[in-house]
Amino acid sequence: MTTRIVTCILCPNGCELEVGYQGEPSEETLHVDGNRCPKGKHYALDELLDPKRTLTTSVLVLGGEQPLISVKTATPISRALVSKARSEIQGAVARAPVAIGDVILANVAGTGVDVVVTRGTHLRHEHGK
Amino acid sequence: MKPTFDVVIIGAGVVGSALARHLTRFACSVAVVEKESDVGMAASARNSGVIHAGINYKPGTLRARFCMEGRRLLTQLCEELNVPYSICGKLVVAMCEEEVSELERLKAQGEANGVPDLRIISGVEAAKLQPGIEAIAALHVPTSGIVSPYALTLAMAEDSAVNGANFYLATEAVGIEHQHNCYAIHTKSDTVRGRWIINCAGIHSGRLAQSIDSEAPDLYPCVGEYLLLDKQVGEKLSMSIYPAPQADGAGLGVHITPTMDGNVLLGPSNEYVSDPETRCCTGSTANRLLEEAKTLWSDLPPQVVIGAYAGVRSKQTSPEVGGFGDFLFRRTPNHPQLIHLIGIESPGLTAAPAIARHIVDEIIRNEEPFKPKTAEEISLRRWPLRFDELPEKEKERLVREIPDHGDIVCRCEGVTKHEILQALNNPLGVRTLAGIKYRSRAMMGRCNGGYCLPRIVDILQQEYGWEPTAFQLRGPTSPMFVGRLLEEDHG
Amino acid sequence: MVDSTRETDVVVIGGGPAGLAAATAAANEGADVLLVDRNVQLGGILNQCIHDGFGLHAFGKILTGPEFADRYVREALEAGVTACTDTLVSNLSRNREIICTTSGKRSRIRAKSIVLAMGCRERTRGMIQIPGTRPAGVYTAGMAQWLTNMANIRIGQRVVILGSGDIGLIMARRLTWEGAEVSAVIEKLPYPSGLARNITQCLEDYDIPLYLSHSVSYIHGRDRVEAVTVAKVDEVGEFIRRSEFRIPCDTLLLSVGLIPENELSRQAGIQIDPATSGASVDERYMTNVEGIFSCGNVLHIHDLADWAAEEGDRAGRSAAAFALGGYRSSNAAARVPISAGDGVRYVVPQSADRSTQELLLSFRVTAPRDEATICVNAGDSSLATKKLRRAHPASMVQMSVATDHPFDESGLEVRST
Repeated sequence: MTTRIVTCILCPNGCELEVGYQGEPSEETLHVDGNRCPKGKHYALDELLDPKRTLTTSVLVLGGEQPLISVKTATPISRALVSKARSEIQGAVARAPVAIGDVILANVAGTGVDVVVTRGTHLRHEHGK
Repeated sequence: MKPTFDVVIIGAGVVGSALARHLTRFACSVAVVEKESDVGMAASARNSGVIHAGINYKPGTLRARFCMEGRRLLTQLCEELNVPYSICGKLVVAMCEEEVSELERLKAQGEANGVPDLRIISGVEAAKLQPGIEAIAALHVPTSGIVSPYALTLAMAEDSAVNGANFYLATEAVGIEHQHNCYAIHTKSDTVRGRWIINCAGIHSGRLAQSIDSEAPDLYPCVGEYLLLDKQVGEKLSMSIYPAPQADGAGLGVHITPTMDGNVLLGPSNEYVSDPETRCCTGSTANRLLEEAKTLWSDLPPQVVIGAYAGVRSKQTSPEVGGFGDFLFRRTPNHPQLIHLIGIESPGLTAAPAIARHIVDEIIRNEEPFKPKTAEEISLRRWPLRFDELPEKEKERLVREIPDHGDIVCRCEGVTKHEILQALNNPLGVRTLAGIKYRSRAMMGRCNGGYCLPRIVDILQQEYGWEPTAFQLRGPTSPMFVGRLLEEDHG
Repeated sequence: MVDSTRETDVVVIGGGPAGLAAATAAANEGADVLLVDRNVQLGGILNQCIHDGFGLHAFGKILTGPEFADRYVREALEAGVTACTDTLVSNLSRNREIICTTSGKRSRIRAKSIVLAMGCRERTRGMIQIPGTRPAGVYTAGMAQWLTNMANIRIGQRVVILGSGDIGLIMARRLTWEGAEVSAVIEKLPYPSGLARNITQCLEDYDIPLYLSHSVSYIHGRDRVEAVTVAKVDEVGEFIRRSEFRIPCDTLLLSVGLIPENELSRQAGIQIDPATSGASVDERYMTNVEGIFSCGNVLHIHDLADWAAEEGDRAGRSAAAFALGGYRSSNAAARVPISAGDGVRYVVPQSADRSTQELLLSFRVTAPRDEATICVNAGDSSLATKKLRRAHPASMVQMSVATDHPFDESGLEVRST
C-alpha cells in the first residue's frame, strides 16, 4: 500500500487528504480519507496522475482605461503545461473594450482549454473621466 | 564650465539652506553643492525638531550664543516662510533627589543664558501640565518649542532657489583646492568654483576641511535612532518631556517630543559608529527607546510605532571623552575666504539662522560690498498651507476653486492631489518619491504609503506619462521599479 | 449653498465584498442606499486579486476576485443601490453625518443608519521594526499585487517574502510566473499564516522554500535592497545567535498581517476591541454608536471574502431595519458580553441581547491543533459544541448558537480545547 498526504486546493477549506492505493493509482485502487466533499477523491487521483492547476494572469490591453486585463484558463489545465500556457498568454495583446467572459485565446498550449477574461476594461476616453 | 560664484555652500542641510536663504537677500551669486538628491536629507531631517530654549549650554559658548539668537530668528523666519512651529514648552523631569539638583543647575545655567520664565515645579504640577508624568519634580521651560525640521530646511532652500541660488544636487564634494583667485570644489562629477566657500557638510565637514587644511579636526559619527509614533499618541502629548541630563551623555537623553505634524518622536539613542553614512535602525534599540520613554511618560500606549529612522550627530568629542564640543567656525589666515562650520550638532537646528547671519553679515559682508536686494527684487516663496488643516468651510470653497483638492490621495495625512502636484513641481527640480513625501507628507503616515503610493504612481503614470523606471525613492541609485510587466512589442 | 446636506436611509462606506453585500441587502429590504467608495471601480481589493478561490460559499462556484466582485456589483446595481465612486469619506460623526470628497466637490450626507465596510490595510515595515537600512524595494504584498496586476509594473527580479499571509503566498507564485526569482518565504511563527492550499499551489509547486520560525534580522542596501539577513527565532520571537544566513535580493515583500482601517470609526467615538482592532458590535453588528454598523475586514480580519460578504449581508439588513423603523433597540441592561476563553483569540460579536435566539459567532483560535473542541458556554451551561478536525489561527471559525432561553447574565464564552 502506498500512502501520501495531499492538500486539496480546490477550495479554501484546503482538506488534508490521506491518500492510499495498491499498485498503480486509479479510480478503483484509490482510497481517500479527510475530504469534506466528493471532489476530493477526483482531485487526489489527478494529483497523483496529472496534477491540474488554473492559471490566472494578465494580458496587455491597448486603448483601455487600464493597462491590463486579467484572465484565467476556463478550467484547470495540466500543471506540466502551465509554463507553456503562460508564455502563449504573455504574447497576447487585447484591444479595448474587453468584457468579462470574452475568450482571449482558444486552446491554450494545446490543452483544448480557452483563456477567458476575468476583469475587462472600457475604452479610454482621451478627454475627461 | 560653470561660472565662478561669489559664494559656494557645501551641504544643503539646515545650516547650508539658512546660509543660501540669507545670501540671496543680497546681490551676489550663490551655489549650493549637495551630495544627496534633495536638501535636508541627513541630520537636518533626522533630529528631534526642537526649538531649544537655551538651558543646556554653558554660558559664553557659541552654542549658547547662537541658540539664543537663533531661536528668535528662527521663529521670525518661520512666520515669514509660513513654516509651522509651536512654542509648546518642555518639561525636564527628575525621578530622584540627585536629579532635582540637576534641574537646579540647568535652571541657573539657562538663566545665565537669558532664558526667561524657568520654573522648578512639583511632580503633581508637572502631571497637571502633561498627564502621565510620574516625576518628583520638573523644570518647566515654557520658551522651548517645536518646528518641522525638514519643512524648515526645504522652505529655506526653495525660497533661496526661487531667489537665484543655484543648487547642484546629487553632487558630492570630495575636495577643496585653492586656485588662482578662487577655490575649486571638486565633486565626483564636476568642479564648482567660488571666491568664498562655506563648508557646512555636516558629518563630512571635518574630512572635507582636511583636504585643504590638514589641521582641521576629525568628527565622530554618533547615531541617534528615533521611533515615530501614531497621531493617536500625539493627541495626548502637549509638550516635550526630557529626562534630567546625565553626566557625559553625548546627547540630551531619550526624550518624547510632539511633532508639528501631530505625531510623537521617541529618541534619540546614542551610539558612536564608524560609518558616517549610517542610516540603519536596530531592533534592540527600538525596544530600549520604548522602555526608557515609558519611564518618562506612563501614558505611552503600546503598539503605536509607525516608523523608525536614524540621524548622525557630528561629534567633535570622541567616544572616550563624551559630552559636547562647542561649534567650530574655522577660518585660517592662509585661507581667509574659506569657512568651515564643524561640529554643528544640537542645537544646530535652532542656531542655524543665527549662524547664517553671523557668517554672512559679520564675516563675508565685512569684506564684500554685496548690495542688499530691494523688496521688489525678492520673491518670497511661502511654504504651502496644508489643506487638511483648514476649516471645513474653507476646504469646501477651495475644492470648488481647485478641483484637485477634492481628490484626497493620502488618507492618513489628508494630502490632496493638488498638494502632490505642487510638491512635484518644486523649484529645486526634485522628482523623487522622497521629495514628494517630505514636501506633501504623503506616504508619511501610519500606512507608510500603502494607500497613497499606488495613487501617486497612477497620477504620475497617467498624467505625466512617467515610465516605471522613472520612479526613484531618493535618486537615480534608488529605483523603485524594474520596468513594465508586459510590453506591447513583447514576443 | 452649493452643497446642501443630502439625506438618505443607509450610507455604506466601502465598496468591497462586505460593503457591496451590505448595500445590496439593505436595498433589498427597501431602504434608499448610497454606497460610497474611494476607488473608481467598485469591488475593493478584489479587483487586484486576479487569482481564483473566491465564491465557493457565496455562489457555489470557484471564481477569481474580479469575477466575484462583478457579481456583487451587478447585484447591488440591480437592487437599486446608488454608487458614489471615486469619493472618499473624510469625516464621520456620531449623529451619522458624513463628509464626502471627490474632485471638485465636498459634500455632506446625513443617513438614518451607516454601515462601515472600509476594509483593512497592511501592516508595514514601520510597525514591525525590521532592523537595517531604508532602501527602495521594500513593499507590502498587497501593494506589490496592485503594482503588478493593476499598474503593469515589474517591481523586482529577486524577491524574498517576509510573512506567509495569503497575499504573500499568492504573490510568490504570481511573481514566479512573471519571471522573477522568489528565493524564500520567511515566517516568524512555527506554522504558516496562510491557507494550506496556498502553501501547496503557490510554494510547493514552484519549489519555493518556506522557512518557519525565521525572520528577517537585517535589510541591506543603502539605496535599493541588496540582500536580507535571515535568522531563526525562538519561541518568544527573539533572534537566535549564529543562525543567520544572507539571501541576496532586490525586493522584500511584507505579508505580515492586516489591520482593520478604523480611523473614521474613531472620529465618531466608536469603541474598538483591542483583540480585533475593529469595532465592538452586538449580535446585529451595531457598534456602541446608535445606527452605525460594522462588517467585513474593518470589523475583524476575515480569511475569505465570502465570509466578509456574508457578514455584510447581515449588517446591511440590520442597518435597513434601523433606518426603516423596524429595529427593536435593546437597552444596555439587556446586553451580555461575549468573550474569548481559553484557546480563542477573539469573538465577534462582542455582546448580544439576552433574548437573542439565534446568534452567529465568528472567531479564531490562538494556536494550531488537531482535533479541537469548541464550546460556547453561558454561565455553567453549554449552549453549543463543535468538533474541528483541525483548528488553525489562519482560518476563521463560525458557529451558530440557537436557544429559546435568555442568555445567562454573565454572558457567553467561547473556548477551544
